[in-house]
Amino acid sequence: VSSSPADDSNVSASPEWAQTGARQALMYAAVGSVAGAVIALQIGVMRIFSEGSWAHFGSLVVSLAMLGFGLTSAVMCLARPWFERHWFGVIAASLGAFAPLVIGANLMAQQLPFNAIFLVSDPLQKWRLVANFALYLLPFLAGSVFLGTVFLRAKTVFGRVYFADLLGSGLCGLLTLVALFFVPSENLVLVPVVLGGVGGVLWFAGLGRPLGAIVMVLLAVVSGAAHLTLPERLNATTLAVSDYKGVSYARKFPDAKREYDSVSPFGHIEVYSSSYLHFAPGLSDNASLNLAQMPANAYLGLYMDGDGPIGVMRELSDKDSAYFHYLPMVYPYLITTAPKTFVVQFGGGISTMVALHSKASSVTVGESSPALLQAFRESDVLKKFTGDILSRVSVIPYDGRLYLANTNERYDVVDLSLADSAGLSNPGGFAIVEKYSYTQEAMQHYMRSLTDKGVLSVTLWNKEEPPKSVLKLYATMAAAAQANGDVDISKNFFVASSYLSTVTVLYKRGGFSAADIATLRKHTSSMSFDEIYSPGIVVDQKKAEHVFGDFRSTIFSTTSTDAATSGGAALVAADGDASVVPATSLYQLAWQSLIRNDWNTFEQKYLFDVRPLTNKRPYFAAYVHPTDLPLITDRLELFQDEWGYLLLWATLSIACVSGVIVIGIPVVFGWRTAFSRYPGKAQTIIYFACLGFGYITVEVGLIAQFVQALSNATVSASVLITGMLVFSGIGSFVSERFASQARVTLPKVCASIGVLLIAYSLLLNPVLNAIGGLPYALRLVCCFILIAPPAFLMGFPMATGMGALTRLKKEEMFLWAWGVNGCFSVIGAALVPLVATAFGLAVVIGTAGAVYLIAIPAFFGLLKPMRGTSAA
Amino acid sequence: MAPPVDSKEHFIEWMVTNRDEDPKFLAERWDRYQAMVTNGDLLNEQTRHAFLLTPREEFVRKNAQTHSYDHNFLDIGFGVTISGPHAVGRMTSTLDIKKGDKVLEIGSGSGYQSAMLGHLTDKVWTIEIIKPLAERTRGVYDGLIARGYSEYSNVRTKQADGYFGWEEAGPFDKIVVTCGIDHVPPALLQQLKVGGIMVIPVGPPGAQHVLKVTKEANPDGTVKIARSDIYNGKVVPFVPFTKLEANGIVGTHNK
Repeated sequence: VSSSPADDSNVSASPEWAQTGARQALMYAAVGSVAGAVIALQIGVMRIFSEGSWAHFGSLVVSLAMLGFGLTSAVMCLARPWFERHWFGVIAASLGAFAPLVIGANLMAQQLPFNAIFLVSDPLQKWRLVANFALYLLPFLAGSVFLGTVFLRAKTVFGRVYFADLLGSGLCGLLTLVALFFVPSENLVLVPVVLGGVGGVLWFAGLGRPLGAIVMVLLAVVSGAAHLTLPERLNATTLAVSDYKGVSYARKFPDAKREYDSVSPFGHIEVYSSSYLHFAPGLSDNASLNLAQMPANAYLGLYMDGDGPIGVMRELSDKDSAYFHYLPMVYPYLITTAPKTFVVQFGGGISTMVALHSKASSVTVGESSPALLQAFRESDVLKKFTGDILSRVSVIPYDGRLYLANTNERYDVVDLSLADSAGLSNPGGFAIVEKYSYTQEAMQHYMRSLTDKGVLSVTLWNKEEPPKSVLKLYATMAAAAQANGDVDISKNFFVASSYLSTVTVLYKRGGFSAADIATLRKHTSSMSFDEIYSPGIVVDQKKAEHVFGDFRSTIFSTTSTDAATSGGAALVAADGDASVVPATSLYQLAWQSLIRNDWNTFEQKYLFDVRPLTNKRPYFAAYVHPTDLPLITDRLELFQDEWGYLLLWATLSIACVSGVIVIGIPVVFGWRTAFSRYPGKAQTIIYFACLGFGYITVEVGLIAQFVQALSNATVSASVLITGMLVFSGIGSFVSERFASQARVTLPKVCASIGVLLIAYSLLLNPVLNAIGGLPYALRLVCCFILIAPPAFLMGFPMATGMGALTRLKKEEMFLWAWGVNGCFSVIGAALVPLVATAFGLAVVIGTAGAVYLIAIPAFFGLLKPMRGTSAA
Repeated sequence: MAPPVDSKEHFIEWMVTNRDEDPKFLAERWDRYQAMVTNGDLLNEQTRHAFLLTPREEFVRKNAQTHSYDHNFLDIGFGVTISGPHAVGRMTSTLDIKKGDKVLEIGSGSGYQSAMLGHLTDKVWTIEIIKPLAERTRGVYDGLIARGYSEYSNVRTKQADGYFGWEEAGPFDKIVVTCGIDHVPPALLQQLKVGGIMVIPVGPPGAQHVLKVTKEANPDGTVKIARSDIYNGKVVPFVPFTKLEANGIVGTHNK
């Protein structure tokens, strides 16, 4: 019979943690504040990268920096006696160094910007990325040394310290998000400086050392002042914006003028005016034959975090707006009269402007970004320029997708055109983000909200070669129609595209009439667009094998002699018809497959993953089949738009290597010495790995899934981060009461978490969809209620596990366990989007549930008593 | 003026004698030329000569000169790249420029593309939207002209918004658009002659696909504008970056 962890309760608390009353409270508050400073730094670095270059590089740097926690723990684990002896100096040094390191590292990193698009071609850029990582790692190291040393000293009250850690992280995360409304990205580093400084003051106040508190104040103030004054004196930049960001080009136009500027958690919005800005997305080339000229000074450029431009159109006279007829967005208005129109996403307003000029009887627009609506409502420049466009339409101040899913209103035209994209290739690639507006479920809602003869029109950029996202759109829309009960969809669709420009898919409820088809075909021909699908179109399907084979060889050719012998010309003609480009042939074949309900065969033969988007897998990303990844390492330039996805694999690889190191260092140096008396080492590693992996998987997975109800990734992230950490903190605190029965209670807790998460994975989708129809405040409340049960329970295992190690006097393992937990957090964070894109978000949450179940037997290994100690 | 192409030594010797260029860069240019010919990036004789005669090293930034003849694109500042030699070769070959053709380039950038065009015809116009870059590139041309590269006098430059083309110089036989935009500017199509060709690289640097737009007369006298790729409805395999090694082309995939 082994002892219960609670039975070994003769471990005495360190003097500073044995204090009572106000001083004890100050100590806990210090831990919460410093943990919050680390979270604030993570958010700050992410924002800096979002604006300066690209968000996914920020994720990479933050993920790797968080590995610092794991590596610190490995070192501290080996040198535990030294850290215990010198705890005061170590903590004072780490607290004192935090603020100067935040400011210094950020300032230096901004002088060493790396350029994402040259990562493959210029070796120097890789070193710059490494330098950015190394610099931003430094303040994280200071934070991790502080927390590690605190945990070491506070072993006996770990549950409470961990509660303070989680609660502080959650609340400070929320505080940082509020700060995003007021503090521009270049000054966001001041938030962790303040929080770190407050943490330092509280710590020394708790120890009754006022001098230390004064030094902490001075260091924070001097660091903040240095950030605000040094760059100007040194002629250095505080936020280096890449020359390759859209806004950098606008700033270089000789007559560019910034007309609007606002910061918020929804991003940094800037609007520029310049005669050099021109927008007409998807304009037919034939406009040049029939229009004397395009209207001048008709556009403003709107930039989100420096990306764009999104075109904002001036209110034009009928003569000036004649070119609207040549835009793909005009399609639904060719076969409708005075339609009642719904624009799913307002964006810069181009679809809305086309609808208004196409004599729509009424126009309703949805827009999920409050910051964007505020810009159009409050900026005099934008109001005057657009003829106060929002006053002429009905505005749904949230996601149009959610509105249509929960309304009884019916519309003659539902339009989703070029949403979420400035359309031009993003040389740094795209982060993997959820596109719930384009999922099969969303399309079903759009189709259901049409009147009997209503038309859904979806326009997407068609600039990929070989095609990727367009094929996903086709498959998604066809699947939606079939799921809605259209048995034969051949009469319901009309599709036209312009090569390397745009593609428009029209769906008509009840099917197109002969007159509709004639009108659409005539217009397509007069615009010199390509007819991809229309009811009755004849497509030669014999060319299919050639097309599939040729496209595969464009990417996966393995010999240079193929091209060499061709003399630069083609290897194999796609169809013998030089007037039809392979992409157009491919699209035509794709629709024939969809009409035959044979998409599986198509996607098996095609070189990329082109499965439909669903609420479980809402991604225009991860097109490369994982099995093909080894084949593309020497041609990464071809996949620049997938670098966000590929970086996740890189992060995962690095995290795995680091995980091995964190686990390996103590194993190599201590397995036969320090740890030799510890039974159940492997189970202990598995237990804490499961907790690290499971917790982050739930957090990141739910952030992605809650966007479905909350419409905004930033809001979803803040709700989840705050909710999870606060509820888990409470769980950690409460867990202390059950520590004496841990052998009995913890398996039940882990089993409950597992069952709960597996149930969430199956049921969350419809629940979130229903929540999406509620008023926003109620949606937030519902989301917090959904988070609370698993998050509360997920606070138990870490605190209980660490408490058990303390009580069993497995002191060497204490910090090691914390490090293993941290490393597997990074592994989990990188794995979530990879699993989600391959298998769906339900699998992510279900996997997390399974991992908590695996933790149950591992926990019993952790409870094995030390050798040489007597069992109770 | 055409350099010998029978051997690397003859080429370098001729260029040193006639153009006083650095043998180191000439050797690299020759190697890249061999790779481009083998890859099928230089499809006609006049484009081959133009490549061999154009000192690419003069158009890249000083700190990147050692990479002048690498396969990849390079940063030239202002958020602009100089395309890789293979891409420039294919674009120029596709245009199939004849002596006397009027050619307009939108987006001068480094000036390298126009410099190659200057070897092919004496009527080249190029527009750059970014003022300091336009001035820098003009300076490069003036410096080269002063050193005896008289063919660059064929290139007329101006800093302006290329969206509206260069109406007073048009119409043009060929137009190259090297800047990103969400549609083909109607003014450029209007300034393209019937029978003319316009090429536009689309996509991120290094993974660009070249759009070819042609303006043709229908039998009934109306005009038709058609889009295609530069390979006439065919696909060409991606060739991993290559270089010449021991008289053979070696791709990075072979390593």
